[in-house]
Amino acid sequence: MNKKYDAIIIGAGVIGCPIAYELAKMGYKTLNVDKNSDAGLGSTAATCAIIRAHYSTEDGVAMAYEGMKYWKDWENYLGGVKDEKGLAKFMNTGSILLKSKGHDWRKVKKNYDAVGVQYEDWSVERVVKAAPVYDLHEHWPVRRPEDSEFWNESTGMLEGALYCPEGGYVNDPVLSTHNMMRATQAHGGEFLFNVEVVAVRSEANQVKGITLKDGSQFDAPVVVNVAGPHSFKINQMAKGVWEGCNIKTKALRHEVMHCPSPEGYNYYGDGYHTSDADLGIYYRPEVGNMFLIGSEDPKCDPKVYPDPDDFYAGKGGAGEDNQLSEAQWKAQCYRLGRRVPTLRVPNQPRGVVDLYDCSDDWIPIYDKSDMKGFYMAIGTSGNQYKNAPVVGAMMAELIDACQKGLDHDANPFQYKLKYLPRSFNVGFFSRKREINTNSSFSVNG
Amino acid sequence: MPFKIYVCVKHVPDSAANITILDKTRIEEKITFIINPFDENAIEEAVQLRSKVGDAEVVAVTIGKPAAVETLRSAMAMGADRGIHVVTGDPPDSIATARALKAAILADGAPDIIFTGKGSIDSEGFQTMFRLGAALGVPAANNVASFRLEGRTATVESELEAGGRAVIRMPLPCVIGAGKALNKPRYPILPDIMKARKKPIRTVPMESLDIGTPPASVQLIELRPFSDRRQAKLIPGPVEKAVEELVRLLREEAKVI
Ligand SMILES: Cc1cc2nc3c(=O)[nH]c(=O)nc-3n(C[C@H](O)[C@H](O)[C@H](O)COP(=O)(O)OP(=O)(O)OC[C@H]3O[C@@H](n4cnc5c(N)ncnc54)[C@H](O)[C@@H]3O)c2cc1C
Repeated sequence: MNKKYDAIIIGAGVIGCPIAYELAKMGYKTLNVDKNSDAGLGSTAATCAIIRAHYSTEDGVAMAYEGMKYWKDWENYLGGVKDEKGLAKFMNTGSILLKSKGHDWRKVKKNYDAVGVQYEDWSVERVVKAAPVYDLHEHWPVRRPEDSEFWNESTGMLEGALYCPEGGYVNDPVLSTHNMMRATQAHGGEFLFNVEVVAVRSEANQVKGITLKDGSQFDAPVVVNVAGPHSFKINQMAKGVWEGCNIKTKALRHEVMHCPSPEGYNYYGDGYHTSDADLGIYYRPEVGNMFLIGSEDPKCDPKVYPDPDDFYAGKGGAGEDNQLSEAQWKAQCYRLGRRVPTLRVPNQPRGVVDLYDCSDDWIPIYDKSDMKGFYMAIGTSGNQYKNAPVVGAMMAELIDACQKGLDHDANPFQYKLKYLPRSFNVGFFSRKREINTNSSFSVNG
Repeated sequence: MPFKIYVCVKHVPDSAANITILDKTRIEEKITFIINPFDENAIEEAVQLRSKVGDAEVVAVTIGKPAAVETLRSAMAMGADRGIHVVTGDPPDSIATARALKAAILADGAPDIIFTGKGSIDSEGFQTMFRLGAALGVPAANNVASFRLEGRTATVESELEAGGRAVIRMPLPCVIGAGKALNKPRYPILPDIMKARKKPIRTVPMESLDIGTPPASVQLIELRPFSDRRQAKLIPGPVEKAVEELVRLLREEAKVI
């Protein structure tokens, strides 16, 4: 006899854990399976964990702002559970969105107003007062250092910034995921590590369970794909599911650099998370007085979509494998060097490389599937860490409603946010949607 | 005549890269290469010395494939005034390298002092700098942790394996192999990197240098991976038992206690 659960969640990352937590709270007997050895060791381990509210759609802003409220209220969210490793901490640095041609910040401002996000409109002088090492010359369009025009002197200036005082980042994303695992276990949820799902079993288009590499089987009427960059592989294991998605996902390689703060400047203590589309980068403080520099994947940069298994095995060579590449190290650090001219750039690259589970329009798929009982929370496109607790509650309610007979495709589930006074059409995240042309088609969502 | 400071730098694979060995003697070079980390200390010391001496020039020299020009640019961003690139195919051994460095330097000028890194992180031969000193007939000290110049006498402290330091006094010209303890290299800011793009590099084909036929040479027979990926081992059970098992493993299997 196979062991039976009410719901099996494939993946114990920052998205899989809160889904299990909320289902367990509702009384579901849950099992998370993960091929890593602990919670949060997939792509979550490399996340920048930036918590910001600026998105290009109103729903995107609402969800992120709601997420921010959870992170600020972390202990409560976990229901007072103890984690022997301690609790993750929200670092409230404040969040600067530089106004530039690279970011449709007017749309963001409109969305901020509609959702009621607290923000301030900052002049160039105000930005420099807050962050004295910034030089706000304009550099648009984004270029690579290999392009001789990258080195041209800038003549124009940026317009200023939108400043969101509630933004920041979470200091330890793996720990935050571990915290949610402990909270799930406190409600009876189980976790199985070092196991790989190789098949999703079904009968007459109803999901039956999963099969692991060692042949063992587990059964449940609900199976949720939260496999991060492997999401397309899991969808392909479930008969007809991948084919039934109008929006697809694939793994996109992303490098994050750690570059020391200029001498005499305490970026770790005094700095802000900053989105800088003028240079195609974002940055936030990191332990060791470092700038952590991510890329907004500007058009001029190569996009690499490796096979996730090859990638994690270190195959492919520079620019394709799981090590930083010299070219991208220079691109991201030199771009920041434009904004922070006193930044010192070491010769040896330091940082992390991981994969985004990228959807066609950079908006996630939080949905049921064409197979009964099979659900997915995928396509997180490099920007859903901040939303994880919201996604957990929303997915659990969606699953519960569908299991009780809701036809979510015909009659989309409306999710009532817990902190903000608004509801949310979950159909926004449908696998059947047409590509959302309002999206920024970047990590900005 | 300006005081001439030469710094020998090498283009090496980043130690963090995934190294793949191709047909026994070569590695897949589609990986990140960097300036040899010890050479950063050499450049830093050279640049500091230039500002003390006043009328001085720092010249970075490299022997390597065309891509090694990137390492010269790094050296110049860190403060070298110009570069010399001796272009080779497959990397020469330390004997040929030392002869080529000597030929390239003497063709350029009369060195007052030469800095190198204490060794390179790829071949780790720790020979080139001594061979260069021998080829030039000048003294050399390696793994240097402190350096002082008075008139034409250099006083260095050289870190020894046993943990001691040897104090060595040498007349100029001499060869100094920089160790990690010598200084803290200052990394360049973007304006330095921009300036470095415009600094001159002279390119010299290796074949054009008269290095003679060395009486001996080193041939690379086979490269092997240094260590396979380490495997974590989980010791299950209650703490007391697990500790006993850990001690047994460390004693009997790892043989470290
Ligand atoms: C470099 C980087 C920077 C980012 N920065 C930010 C940011 O600043 N702010 C933000 O909001 N978001 C950010 N993100 C996005 C965010 O981190 C991700 O959206 C989120 O971590 C994804 O979590 P997940 O649980 O879906 O995936 P993962 O953490 O990858 O978890 C999926 C799990 O599924 C498991 N799995 C896969 N296949 C199988 C199988 N066959 N059998 C068993 N287990 C399997 C894996 O082992 C893995 O642990 C970033 C992402 C990256 C990669």
